[in-house]
Amino acid sequence: MARMKNAHGNRQQNKKRRETLFAYSWSLPSLVLILLIVIFPILYTGYISMTNMNIYHWNNYEFIGLENYKDALLVFDNGFLTALFVTILWTVVNMVLQLVIAFIMATLLNVKGLRLRNVYRTLLIFPWAMPGYVSILLWKTGMFNSQFGLLNQWMIRLGMEPVRWLGSDVIAFISCTTVNLWLALPFMITIIDGALQSVDRSFYESALLDGATWLERTRYITVPMIRPIIAPSVMITTFTTFKQFDVIYLLTQQVGSKTGANIHTILTYAYEKAFITNNYGYSSAISILIFGMLLVFSLVTNGRKEERR
Amino acid sequence: MSKKTKHVLVLIAVNVFFILVCFFVLVPVLYAFSVSLNAENSLLGSDFSFLPKHMTLQNYKAVFTEKPVLLWLKNSLILAVSTLVISLGTGIPAAYAFSRKRFPGRKAILKLLILLYAFPSLLSMTALYKLLSPMGLINTRTGLIIVYTGTMAVFALWNMKGYFDTIPVEIEEAAMIDGATQLEQVTKIVLPLAKPTIAVTAMMVLVYVWNEYIFAINFMTGSDTYTLAAGLYSLQATEMSGSWPIFSAASLIVSLPILIVFFALQKNMTEGLTSGGVKG
Repeated sequence: MARMKNAHGNRQQNKKRRETLFAYSWSLPSLVLILLIVIFPILYTGYISMTNMNIYHWNNYEFIGLENYKDALLVFDNGFLTALFVTILWTVVNMVLQLVIAFIMATLLNVKGLRLRNVYRTLLIFPWAMPGYVSILLWKTGMFNSQFGLLNQWMIRLGMEPVRWLGSDVIAFISCTTVNLWLALPFMITIIDGALQSVDRSFYESALLDGATWLERTRYITVPMIRPIIAPSVMITTFTTFKQFDVIYLLTQQVGSKTGANIHTILTYAYEKAFITNNYGYSSAISILIFGMLLVFSLVTNGRKEERR
Repeated sequence: MSKKTKHVLVLIAVNVFFILVCFFVLVPVLYAFSVSLNAENSLLGSDFSFLPKHMTLQNYKAVFTEKPVLLWLKNSLILAVSTLVISLGTGIPAAYAFSRKRFPGRKAILKLLILLYAFPSLLSMTALYKLLSPMGLINTRTGLIIVYTGTMAVFALWNMKGYFDTIPVEIEEAAMIDGATQLEQVTKIVLPLAKPTIAVTAMMVLVYVWNEYIFAINFMTGSDTYTLAAGLYSLQATEMSGSWPIFSAASLIVSLPILIVFFALQKNMTEGLTSGGVKG
């Protein structure tokens, strides 16, 4: 009896060992790839961040400990803290506007009797389908250009002074936000539109019988019902907004054609310190700080998700 | 006013609203389209209209004859296909193993992958440059392929694993009882069922390589090694020298394949992204 149990246990163990061996041999190429191309460079970035590597010390750099981190976090004039503040402001402004506008658009798309709704849906989704960087470049030259951009042509036609849309901080921030909304709204509208359709109609009918106004119905039925459905997408979008690089870089800070605005998100800041002022050590420290922040965010959000289950 | 007329008025208002919104959403692209077709260089004039008075395909011709677009296209295609083959070739078996097998270290690796997914590869650009340059891989296609595969490997593994999880194990167990080997189970049963996710993942890899410009302009130094995205970027950088109509023609040409793919796969795309593994 005992021997039989033992044999059974052995077989189980053997099976387990075979499964492990199988799993690792099948996933080995992928894991090695990730280890070499993703993880190792991150660790190496951590190492560079503790050196004074820059254009003059490309090979003969020295280990300087946490000096770069001190420069970033304690010296306000270095601009990292400002960039961090701008990034947070950027994320909040963009997410609030996105959610509000997308909610209104999706609600209107679901108005009863709207025959052309599928036409509108397809047209509204268009910016999502375009390659992002192409759209941004088209906005930059086609719309915002101060000489022949369409916006200034309209301004002149209306008898107003032409505006330098990317020329100073505040207006450039607004222009960048506009382009970012243009790029991001189609996804958000699609998500909320889908969520709205999954809400059971009968809730509204009974609320209507109780005499609830549109605002009350929205607040007490629609929003609570769609919140869990859209939450994952909203989380992902918040991440992408926080990590946004293309919009701000391509519109205002391309090498050789800066527009005069000096708004930085932490990502464009890290890029500028690395590839324009060539301060690799410092820039790597910024990268590690950003990575740290993203890690904390995703740990917090993932932890929450598990609790909910 | 009766309830019915009120509803009609609301509908008219909503329709007007959407027509205006759609127009404003499409303006940047429509404008580029009209500029690219315009024969006169009336950009600086104030009498610009959306329908050019003299249509021409001259700018489109110029894209192909005056700029090395076909060379850039070739570079993009080589990079895209190589990245695709490597990331799917390594990603599919790994995703299968992570979805079907339970083994020590599995959970930890999956958690690590989520964290890595949050890390923008842009941030390790210096390190990648520093690592690739002594190997002589800067300004080579191999170097870029390495960077792109790394970025897409995490995504491919995670996204396809999420889909494999939704395929019932029972089908494979039945096949196993019928005597199918592990490899047969995967190639004959799982892969055909996983076609949608493989298609979406492949599409995302292609689109990523097609659109990636920042590594391409920093790691490639000569314009003959540029990809389409890097080439387009370099075209607009010289926008002041008056090539804006050619640039808009080039932009639309470059966007066209992506537009076609997007609208062809729209349903899969939205489903693959929202119900796929990204959710965790």
